[in-house]
Amino acid sequence: MRSHDDRLPAWRRYLRFWRSNPGGDVDDELRFHLESTIDELVAGGMSREAARDVARQKFGDIDGISNTLYTLSEQRERRMNRAEWFDSIRQDLVYGLRQLRKSPAFTAVAISTLALGIGANSAIFSVVYSVLLRPLPYANADRVFTFAQQNGSGTMCCLPYGNYYVWRREATAFEVLGATTGYPPMTLTGQGDPMPVSTVVASADYWKAMFIPPALGRYYTEADDREGAPKVVVLSHAMWQNRFGADRGIIGRSIALNGSPRTVVAVAAPEYVLLPPAEKIWIPLAAPPWRLSDFKDHELRVYGLLRPGVTIGSAVRQLTQIDTRLARENPHSGYDGGVAPMSVIDYVVGPHRARLYMLLGAVALVLLIACGNIASLLLARANVRRAEMAIRGALGATRGRIVTQLLIESLLLGVGGGVLGLAVATAGMRFLVRSPANIPRLQDASLNVPVLAFTLVVAVASSIVFGLVPAVRVARLDLQQTLRDGGRESRGAAREKLRRALVVSELCVAQVLLIGAGLLIRSSIALQHVPAGFDTHNLLAIDLFLPPARYQEKARQEATFQQIEDALAAIPGVRLVGRTQVAPIHGFGWDWTAFREGSDGHDDGAVDSDMRSATPDYFNVLGLRLLRGRNFTRADVADGPKVAIISRGLAKRLYGDADPIGRRIGNGNGKDPQWREIVGVVDDMRASGLANDIPRELYMPSTQWINGVQTILVRGAVPVLSLVPAIRRTVLGVDPLLALSNVSTIDQSIDDSQAMSRFTTWLLVLLGATGLVLAAVGVYGVIAYVVAQRTHELGVRMALGASGVTVQWMVVRQGLTLAAAGVVVGMAVSLAAARALRSMTFGITAHDPITFAVVAALLAVVAVVASYVPARRATRIDPLEALRGS
Amino acid sequence: MARSSVDLLQGTLDLIVLKTLSWGPMHGFGIARWIQHTTEDVLQVEEGSLYPALYRMENRGWIRAQWALTENGRRAKYYRLTAVGRRQLVAESESWEQMSAAMAKIMSARRQPA
Repeated sequence: MRSHDDRLPAWRRYLRFWRSNPGGDVDDELRFHLESTIDELVAGGMSREAARDVARQKFGDIDGISNTLYTLSEQRERRMNRAEWFDSIRQDLVYGLRQLRKSPAFTAVAISTLALGIGANSAIFSVVYSVLLRPLPYANADRVFTFAQQNGSGTMCCLPYGNYYVWRREATAFEVLGATTGYPPMTLTGQGDPMPVSTVVASADYWKAMFIPPALGRYYTEADDREGAPKVVVLSHAMWQNRFGADRGIIGRSIALNGSPRTVVAVAAPEYVLLPPAEKIWIPLAAPPWRLSDFKDHELRVYGLLRPGVTIGSAVRQLTQIDTRLARENPHSGYDGGVAPMSVIDYVVGPHRARLYMLLGAVALVLLIACGNIASLLLARANVRRAEMAIRGALGATRGRIVTQLLIESLLLGVGGGVLGLAVATAGMRFLVRSPANIPRLQDASLNVPVLAFTLVVAVASSIVFGLVPAVRVARLDLQQTLRDGGRESRGAAREKLRRALVVSELCVAQVLLIGAGLLIRSSIALQHVPAGFDTHNLLAIDLFLPPARYQEKARQEATFQQIEDALAAIPGVRLVGRTQVAPIHGFGWDWTAFREGSDGHDDGAVDSDMRSATPDYFNVLGLRLLRGRNFTRADVADGPKVAIISRGLAKRLYGDADPIGRRIGNGNGKDPQWREIVGVVDDMRASGLANDIPRELYMPSTQWINGVQTILVRGAVPVLSLVPAIRRTVLGVDPLLALSNVSTIDQSIDDSQAMSRFTTWLLVLLGATGLVLAAVGVYGVIAYVVAQRTHELGVRMALGASGVTVQWMVVRQGLTLAAAGVVVGMAVSLAAARALRSMTFGITAHDPITFAVVAALLAVVAVVASYVPARRATRIDPLEALRGS
Repeated sequence: MARSSVDLLQGTLDLIVLKTLSWGPMHGFGIARWIQHTTEDVLQVEEGSLYPALYRMENRGWIRAQWALTENGRRAKYYRLTAVGRRQLVAESESWEQMSAAMAKIMSARRQPA
């Protein structure tokens, strides 16, 4: 046994004296030299005193040379130590490997447990890295921010054109300010069937703020981005590949969109599109001059590229100043100048951050439980290895040395688990990437360098977590006692206490996981049972867009839509057809301020409402009850009296219990309101999504409020998806250049909107179950050990007439004690941890008592089952055998 | 003592030590004496400067040291050549011979350079 320790026993100095004390060695060597010289001179007849002087003189600068020699030998010593340290680590590794090979069952269990634990962590981290941490592909993404306008009551994602153009002129904090806005899908023709194409309107500066060099061509510039300029378009990479066969000659070619030609100027880089859909096109904003004085409609998402060195704080101060002034100059814009910045990464993946980090935390907890089990196994093994350690100690190995040796064995397990874990991670990652949750940037998850580094760190950290305590415990054992006992356990009580503490911690962590899973399950169930307020089943929604080039007048649009509806209603299997500008669940209604007569639009007589248009059959097709008054009819024509139907919630808010029928409701701003007579009240529904509050709805006849984009709702008498081909044929029969987009059932939309939460819920359930199984194994291990230790005692009890049930109960009670301790501690921890889930719960509080009670009961049951198995074994002890065996 | 001392270059001292140790293990004092006797006092190595050279060579792995008893029963640090040191000796003596041959040619030159 070699060591790099300075505190060596004295005798070892003589085994390896030329390394042990370099300073002394230098002195000895030089003294020998001087004395030999003196002896020589004295032999030649000189006096000893004179000889001493001559010898010193011949030698030169003794002190200087000694110092040089000290330095040189220290250098050498250090290098030797290093070499020796590596050598000892190598020895420990070889020794550790041999030890692990000697107990293959233990090694297999430990490594496979770790592989699962570490692999699951790596898989989830690969997702977290790919989605949340990976840099964005845009050239200056860390300097790009998007902005919301804010006032006391809320935020508004987008800016009016007016504010945007003033910002562009005056906000010196930015290099450029680009803007985008949504646009109805354009219809691409001339490439097979007419096809709806997801369209984004983007200013020329948008390409500078969010820059990635294009795959082909050049992005359009300011010259293309004005009214009347020749029409151009940028294609997304997927669009170019899927619809244009990746034709490199596409640049400069003209394609037909909404029936008019546009020149392709660029194909964006493949990584450009982060938010679905992948197939899309961009067209210039080309804002008409009148829009520049619009300070009211929040339509533009603005991307600002900060000048280098400018902080976002000072930029926001500048924007706030500008907006405050604009709010003063343009009253009734509804906003008071507050500006909230959001980084691009937050914009893209912010909504998924909490859930992904929650999963990462949960999977780390599972690994912690796994580490607990392995620590427990190591403690049990330590018992077997007492003799080995005692002998090594007796041979001079220090405690630090033994701890190092044991930690290296743990490290071998950890690294082994990590390497195998990479296989688990690959499989897990494949599973996660295929998830239906539709998370941006998820598809690129891979086992890249950061994920590998994470795996290594987790493997090493878990080795220390499960290895350190057992190692220190073994190193502390009493040498002489152990040797005298012949290596058998004499004082295992402390060790057992430690194993119990480990199991209690495991139960506690498992409880935290299960409570988290329980809360999410209960939220999911609560969400499933939220009544939508209308019949969501077998209801199809189709978006239709009438290109303004061919359908300019509102009357023409309405007439065409009515023609299509009548044709659709005639299809066998179709029960009812209705229409609105945006279907419930599919999207939010338009934000409108609705106010009762006498209000100035800013007092409590004015409320935020969601406005949707509706055809006479709209409420029938939804199955929404008419509570008072009448439905819209075809008599409510465009130039007829202006009428409205309101939801029960809006009626209640504006008129209390009074009958609203016949009253006038206003919208627009207070100065110049547009008045409508209320002709009906319909029931409430969760039109903004099941997880959101019930909106207060204001409905207008589609004849009196129409734009070119409408959603047609079809209620089937037969499964409605089977009608889609017939519906498509019918629509094309009216106009062969129309494109049907976003064809889906309302149930499907509800399902899609819950995909992410369902996905995380089931993952958390999976992790919770894994944690529970691991904790159960831990309980089993401890109880089985107790039974083995107490064989003699139990034998005596049974010989004295104790019944099997009594003995079983004695054992099971121990398991229950552990569970009780775990539950009590776990409750406290869970109460604190559940706060993290507050934003993800629905319909229950994060401290839902039912969840807590059920999980506590579950843990108790599992602990009983886990201890019942060894308890049964205890009753099969043959008293004679047990007594003889002692 | 009159010194006809020749300043030794570092590399030269190393070569001398290596050559000395090629006869067998020797302590520092012995090395100094051997040099003194062999060169008939022409090369008067300042004895102190020998030791840093020895330590450096040990750090380079050319020689190894070990304590042992001398004939008259004293503890002394003996140095001996390692395999690396032996190879070093061969290489350095070759280049030394080339060097001294070249020097000899220069010093015996009879014509002024063109």
